[in-house]
Order: sequence, then structure tokens, then C-alpha cells
Amino acid sequence: MKTERYLRQILFHPIGKEGQRRLAESSAVVVGCGAIGSTTASLLVRSGIGYLRVIDRDVLEESNLQRQELFDEEDLREGLPKALAAEKRLRRINSAIRVEGIAADLNPTNAETLLRDAQVILDGTDNFETRLLLNDYALKTGTPWIYSACLGSQALLMDILPGKTLCLRCLVDSVPLPGSLPTCETAGILAPAAKLIASIQTTEALKILTNHPEALISGLVNIDLWKGSFQKVDTQTAPSPTCPACQKGEYEFLNAKGFSLTTTLCGSNAVQITPGGNAENGAKIDLVALSLRLQSALGVDNISQSPYLLKFRLKGREMVIFPDGRALLFGTQDTSLARTLYSQYVGL
Amino acid sequence: MIYLDNAATSFPKPSEVYGEMDEFFRERAANPGRAGYRLSTEAEKGIEMTRKALAGLFGASEPQRLVFTLNATDAINMAIKGLLNPGDHVITTTLEHNAVTRPLNSLERQGVITVTRVRPSPQGFLDPGDIKRAITHKTRLVALVHASNVLGTVQPIGDVGRLARERDLLFLVDAAQSAGLWPVNVEEQCIDLLAFTGHKSLFGPPGTGGLYVGGRVELRPWREGGTGVDSQNPVQPEDMPFRLEGGTPNFVGLAGLKAGVEFVSRTGTDKIRRHGQALTSQLLHALGDDTRFTLYGPPPEAEVGGGPATSPILSLNIRGMEPQVVGTILDESFGIAVRSGLHCAPGTHKEIGSFPQGTVRISPGFFNTGDDIAQVALALKEIASSTAVSSRQ
Ligand SMILES: Cc1ncc(COP(=O)(O)O)c(C=O)c1O
Ligand SMILES: [Zn+2]
Repeated sequence: MKTERYLRQILFHPIGKEGQRRLAESSAVVVGCGAIGSTTASLLVRSGIGYLRVIDRDVLEESNLQRQELFDEEDLREGLPKALAAEKRLRRINSAIRVEGIAADLNPTNAETLLRDAQVILDGTDNFETRLLLNDYALKTGTPWIYSACLGSQALLMDILPGKTLCLRCLVDSVPLPGSLPTCETAGILAPAAKLIASIQTTEALKILTNHPEALISGLVNIDLWKGSFQKVDTQTAPSPTCPACQKGEYEFLNAKGFSLTTTLCGSNAVQITPGGNAENGAKIDLVALSLRLQSALGVDNISQSPYLLKFRLKGREMVIFPDGRALLFGTQDTSLARTLYSQYVGL
Repeated sequence: MIYLDNAATSFPKPSEVYGEMDEFFRERAANPGRAGYRLSTEAEKGIEMTRKALAGLFGASEPQRLVFTLNATDAINMAIKGLLNPGDHVITTTLEHNAVTRPLNSLERQGVITVTRVRPSPQGFLDPGDIKRAITHKTRLVALVHASNVLGTVQPIGDVGRLARERDLLFLVDAAQSAGLWPVNVEEQCIDLLAFTGHKSLFGPPGTGGLYVGGRVELRPWREGGTGVDSQNPVQPEDMPFRLEGGTPNFVGLAGLKAGVEFVSRTGTDKIRRHGQALTSQLLHALGDDTRFTLYGPPPEAEVGGGPATSPILSLNIRGMEPQVVGTILDESFGIAVRSGLHCAPGTHKEIGSFPQGTVRISPGFFNTGDDIAQVALALKEIASSTAVSSRQ
């Protein structure tokens, strides 16, 4: 290990030589390489972590450059998947680190392979169902994970330590109905808010990896940079006694039951997305409200409606959403693209 | 929920089917492999009863030549791959299901066989004369779907069978859609290989099906293994059905299939078919002169041998709407289950002009009612009037 490179970090007393040595032997997985994930990945690689895996299913787009610090215009021209562009960039930042970029859509089938050996999992995703999948994996394997999210100027974070803290599922009775919440694509996102929460996330990861559990933040961090509000909500710290995931060991996302299903359709050049869970409860999306949210992002002329559906044109494709949350994306057979667009514009 | 996807699989099944499987599985499901103890003998007997019931239904005088398979696909693969040799020529049609098309295509691509694909009339009927004209001195097999799973059109298998027999060709019939609905008689219709599936109009469970292998055919077994008989033999025994039936059979499923076949025999294929046909023609009449719909296949008055010439299957589209969108609305807003897409028969859609998007396929079964059809007709009309309008209004 090169001490010189990490000198300032070693001089920071709680880390010290011992912490730096531990860090060099540790591994982390960043899931989702967007605004939060790319900052976290970059900070971890600079800090001298031993191994970092970055998982992302998307290809870089111009609108990512506003906030996703691992990427630049040259990457955009190359048109690489973000995971691979990130890997290249992270190796340039620190060639001593083992970095692996995986261009894949994390789902119940591959989660246990792609998340294996992580000592901490860092949430850089943009949707709730992937978070609940991470939560299940974390509980099942006893791996700490750090929930974080950012929308507009607001950012949230919570450390989840299986067996010690509550889990994400403790906080949500049921998974939010698709299409019921704003997304970055419809409500925007302020880059500094994402970077701030990524910095906190990285710090929490450093505490875990250098064995400083006493320093971890307990409760939910809730920051609004625009309003200038910085809160730590001391949520119940004990798990909810009725939590299916951490109390009953029912991993409904990892076992695929609660997870959305994405299938290419026979015939048409189209993919069907069936969100998990909610449809069975008969819950319905408010298509009018969704249409209003989509108008500012996509322009009113790209959206049309009937009593049975909402249609919108998007990047040369057409998405049709039905009230129970099911959707058809015409113009592609790429299931992971369908999940991306669905979680970006409808919300999973 | 109104289920109108019986061409994919019949649902629900007659209650005897559930009852028989439950009872059999709980009380008698010992391995039939000739163990000699009473339970095993009963299991064995159960299979032989199913075999006899099916041989009876298909007019096969040698039940042992009817072998059980996983489904029609398995049976067709067993037939095509166990029969054809390098240089053989096969005549088939553009109406086939991928269960026939793909095995033939792959042998053709490997350079093993050559294939001629005969086209149907615009309404979806084949002319046996076209098959006759396609015969060459290398032709070994004619492979033909009995009832199209997209259009429901029924082909004159008896005529084609006799033609094949005259020219000393073998004749394979894909009866996945027709077994249980239409009279099939391997002897009268000169069928050498009859492939069927258990879970459609025979009312059995999935995972059951079979292949009747006529006396003129010898198939190479590709699934070799235990038969419970002739175990000292180093290779698969010559005797049927053991030659083609290695491994523990799905005897619980076959018990259910027997109950299904008994239901069909008791009720009568004619009655079952006419019930479904009455429902499709009700639907055709309800939508027939509404120009917002494209209806595929022959008009309801098309007949063969004094009755309608189609199985209870109606393919349609609403002009300007993707079939998948129509199917999802039917399910989501009306609780009606139908199938949209290509139904694994892309060639048929190319013939009728619905490729690549496919059609909405409505396939009533014996347990549907006129009221179900009235509801689906109403729903389709409502959907047709609901074209999406711009959100600007
Ligand atoms: C005409 C036809 N052939 C073959 C098959 C294949 O049947 P299975 O899926 O039971 O093997 C089907 C069913 O989809 C069919 O409709
Ligand atoms: Zn919990």
C-alpha cells in the first residue's frame, strides 16, 4: 500500500494506518451509477478501497452530464454503457484499485451473483423496487447497505445494518404504486444535492469498512439544500415487529414475487412491464396526475390519453401505461431499457 | 374473469380432471415401472387405460403405437428428428405452428433436408392439389397442421392423407388444436404420425401429449433409458411403446388426461365443437359489419362437409391499435383474458397481412357462454371508440 497517496486520510485520526490497511482489503458494490453512484464510486476509489464493483444498466446520455461526475463529452461520443465508461474512468483515477464495471440490470435472477462478496452495498439506484431487492439481499446475507436518494434539492440517507437497525421494508407498508411519485425525469434534480448525499454515503461506507460502527449516523438523514434544512429524523430505531423482510425473512423482492416482470412481446417490437405487487391489490394509477407530471418533461404534444391508457412518445419509442401500472414499450426488445424508461418516467 | 384463451390451453378443466388427478396422486401414484406390487401395477394400468382411451378416440387399432410425450411440440420433434434422413424432402405449409416450422427449418439450415412450403388460400385453406404438385422423387414426408391456431381453419387431412398414401409418402398431422374438437381417425385419414397435446381440447393438464406412430413408420428414439421391461437389453427395446418411452412417465398428468378424454368421449366432439363454433359465430356477427374491426379468416358461412370449417378461434384487430394494447385493456379494464401477438405462427400472419404485430385472438371453450361473448363484443366496441386523444384538450 502506498502511504504517500493516502497520507492526508491516514492523518485523519479515526482512520489512521490501521483504517487505511483495512480499507485496502475491503470491497464495496455501487448499484446505479448516476448522480449519487458516480460520486460515491469516485470518492471510494480515491480513498483507497481494495475492490469496487459498479453495476448500471444504462447507456450514457447527454442529460447525465449535468450531474454524473465520472462522465464527460468524450464518453458520450463513445456511447458506452455507463458501467464500462465508469470502470475506465475509475481506473484512470486510481490504477491500484480493482474496479469492475458491470453493465447489467440488477434483478432477482442475478442479484445474488452480482452483489456477492460486497462488504457494503451503496445505493445509487433510481427506483424503490431495486432498493427493496438490495434490502432483501442485505438481510439475507447480513451485508450492510446505505440507502440514499435524491430528487430536486432534497436528499435522503439511512444506514441499514442487518440485525442492528431497522430495514427499508420496516418503513414502507407496501411498495409505492408505480406512477405515484415524482422522478428526477419529471421533477428534476439539483446536482449539488446528489453530491452532498453521496459524500455522506461514502463517509458512512468508510466508517463501516474501517470498523467504526460507533460513528455511524443512526436514523434518517433528510436534507433540502434549497431550503437550507438539515435534519436527522430519529425514526424508530428498532425494526418493525411486522416487517416481512427483517422479521419474517420473507424476501419478496429477492425471490421475484414482489418484483416487476419485464418480457419481450411475441410479435411486436415491444416489451411489457408488469410491476410487482400492487396490481393484485387492485390499486390504480392516477393517469391524469401522471400525465400532468410528464407534460413538463416531454411536452404536451407527445402525450395522449383515453379512459383506458396513457401514451407518450419518448426517444423515438412509444410507451403505453394502463391504470394498473402495466406498460407496453413499443420500438424496442430491450427489457432493461424498458425498465429504465419505466422507472425514469413512471416510477417503480 | 372471462377466459377466452382456450386455444392456448383449455381452462377451466372439467371437474373430473381435477378430482382424478388428486385422487390418483394421493392414493395410487407409485412408480409404474413394473415393480410388481399392487400400487405399481395400478399406476401401470392407469397409463394403459389412458393409452387405450386415446387410441379409441383416434381410431388407432394398435394402442401400443401411441406413445406419451410432454406435449405436441415434443411429439413433433420426436417424429421429425426420428424420421428424416439426409436428402429427404418435406412438404409443409405456411400455416404451421413453430412446433413444426422450427424443427424443419433447423434441419433445412443444417443442409439435412429440403422443404417446400405450400401456401393456403386467402381465407386460410389448403388445396391438396398444391401439395400434390410439390411432390418430388425425394419427398418423404408431408407435415400439416389440422386446425390453424390463428384462424381456426381446418384442413382436409383425409384428402391429403389418401394422396400421401397413394404416393407412398408419410403423413404427419399436428392435431394440437383439433384433437378433442374434430373427428380424427388415423386409419381412415391415412395418418402415419399424429401429434397431439393433452392440455387443450382434450382437457388434460399441461405436460401431457402424445404421438401416434403408424405401422409404416419406424422412428429413431432420441430419448433412451429405463423402460421397466427388457432391462437386460443394452439398447432401447424394439417394442412399442417402450422404444420411444424411456424414463418415468407423467402418470399423474396422464390420469388427468384420461379423465379429460373420457369427458370428451362422453360429451362428444361434435357437441363440444358446435358449442364453440356457435360462440365464435355470435362474435363474428356482433362485429361483422363494424368497419373499425379487421376480422381474419373465413366468413362464418364457409363450410366443409356440412358444417362450419373452423375451430372456435377468431383473430381480429381494431384498426389503428396494437393488438397488445387491445389485449391489455381487455384484461385490465374488462377482466377478459385473450391472447395478442403471433401465437407462435408467424407464417400465418404473413399470409393474412398481420405480421409482425399479430392479432387479438379470441378462443372460446366449452365452458364459455353466450353472455361471455356478448361481453367481449361490447368491450371490443368500447375499446374501438376510445382512441387516445392528445392531452392538450
Ligand atoms: C397448431 C399448434 N401446434 C402445436 C402447438 C404446440 O403445443 P404444445 O405447446 O402443447 O406443445 C400448438 C399450441 O400452442 C398449436 O396451436
Ligand atoms: Zn424490516
